[in-house]
Amino acid sequence: MATFADSFLADLDELSDNEADIIEENVPDAGNMEEDIDGDMADIEALNYDDLDSVSKLQKTQRYNDIMQKVEGALEKGSDRSDQVMVLEDDPEYQLIVDCNVLSVDIENEIVIIHNFIRDKYRLKFPELESLVHHPIDYARVVKKIGNEVDLTLVDLEGLLPSAIIMVISVTASTTSGKPLPEEVLQKTIDACDRALALDAAKKKVLDFVESRMGYIAPNLSAIVGSAVAAKLMGTAGGLSALAKMPACNVQLLGAKKKNLAGFSTATSQFRVGYIEQTEIFQTTPPSLRMRACRLLAAKSTLAARVDSTSGDPSGTAGRAFREEIRKKIEKWQEPPPAKQPKPLPVPDSEPKKKRGGRRLRKMKERYAVTDMRKLANRMLFGVPEESSLGDGLGEGYGMLGQAGSGKLRVSIGQSKLAAKVAKKFKEKPYGSSGATSGLTSSLAFTPVQGIELTNPQAHAHQLGSGTQSTYFSETGTFSKIKRP
Amino acid sequence: MDEVLASVAETIKNFAVIYLMDITEVLDFNTMYELYDPSTVMFFFRNKHIMIDLGTGNNNKINWTLKDKQEFIDIVETVYRGARKGRGLVIAPKDYSTKYRY
Repeated sequence: MATFADSFLADLDELSDNEADIIEENVPDAGNMEEDIDGDMADIEALNYDDLDSVSKLQKTQRYNDIMQKVEGALEKGSDRSDQVMVLEDDPEYQLIVDCNVLSVDIENEIVIIHNFIRDKYRLKFPELESLVHHPIDYARVVKKIGNEVDLTLVDLEGLLPSAIIMVISVTASTTSGKPLPEEVLQKTIDACDRALALDAAKKKVLDFVESRMGYIAPNLSAIVGSAVAAKLMGTAGGLSALAKMPACNVQLLGAKKKNLAGFSTATSQFRVGYIEQTEIFQTTPPSLRMRACRLLAAKSTLAARVDSTSGDPSGTAGRAFREEIRKKIEKWQEPPPAKQPKPLPVPDSEPKKKRGGRRLRKMKERYAVTDMRKLANRMLFGVPEESSLGDGLGEGYGMLGQAGSGKLRVSIGQSKLAAKVAKKFKEKPYGSSGATSGLTSSLAFTPVQGIELTNPQAHAHQLGSGTQSTYFSETGTFSKIKRP
Repeated sequence: MDEVLASVAETIKNFAVIYLMDITEVLDFNTMYELYDPSTVMFFFRNKHIMIDLGTGNNNKINWTLKDKQEFIDIVETVYRGARKGRGLVIAPKDYSTKYRY
């Protein structure tokens, strides 16, 4: 594919992050191949474009204009339907609300497309802006404000963005690699920004309308989270039935802001909370219980949405019951724990000791087990006097160790498992010796066979062996206990 | 001593019960057990008097004030263990022979 090759070459040439460009250049290909599927794909296909109108078609559609008119009319008319008990689906206003939900999702998508358009055009001027300002509407506003200006001190971004981000933008603008735009491009960009802002305003209107009717559409849901948040949830989900089909964990994340801007601390950002964050219940819970409250709210509001989607309870009593339940639960969480009762001691020896077993214990016991040598030393042959360490029956007796008739050909010392730990301790002792030693001694040992050995093999012999030699007055003795940090 | 006994009573209630006797009111056992000191603690298990080797020379009773609660609980537990095994004399975990510092 030519465009693939082109995009790879472009990658190598420019060495900047062109991924978005590549993706967008590939997508027209995809669009070309799948032309027959959907008219909507025509939007993406037209991304190789210069004209805003070929990209953003929504505002021109009849459907959009119809719905916007109806919404404005209904907003002026005000809410007068609350006492009418009608089957929900037949009500024309209900249909309008369903349409509004779908429209708000469409507007959202449209805004994203326009945002891409603006971004591509403005990239020549200020490429870093897109990574600093993520929100499409904020981006559009900032672009409109900055225009073709090179010096950002002349531009006042107050009120549009948090001051920290304004600062970062100003700093980045002073070192940006962008160049001012040609006039037509700038004009198109500004047009696109206007378009985006208009769509945003329209979306707001739609949401306001839905919110005003919320008590009628979804009484239970609005009883729990409030009509504003309920409208937002419904708008983002794309309808009441869509909201009802979502699992509660998704409902919790509806409207969650994504990643933080580069360099800013994530300590203050709350994780995993969406529009639910704006509900009254959430705001009034103490911060330590907020995560639990959020989950609880999401769960109950999902249930309420399900009740509403089947119009099971038009009066909203179920929603109010849920809200009461939530309130009670949160209160219970805040109760202090019960006072600690002093427990009386158990009867001594009444509970049998928990004897452990298993490989680990066996290995531990092996280290202190009686060795074969010791077993032999403990026994004696009948009628044969045993040898002893000091001879003549004085000192420690050797028992059957080393006797002719003992029946054992050889007694190996065996792997002393305890010695492993002890040897490790000895190895860590320092080589140098303080005290009176001859100046010719060293820790290197020059053996004729092996040449130079770095460890002195005699050192170990001294340490392990002769317990009879006094260590207090020895010439080679060192401090016996040196605390090493 | 009374405060120690009162505070310990709940903790050891599963294996020991504490009775407080006024020797000026109940005089019947004064000669039998030689109760003359201001406070005396004696141990009985199933109607048998249990002796404790405290190192003081008198194995029958504790006739000074024991201030530490945990020490007292230890002594009671030792007495209980030994008495349950059928011992008439148990050895206290702590030695009180140097109780009086001269």
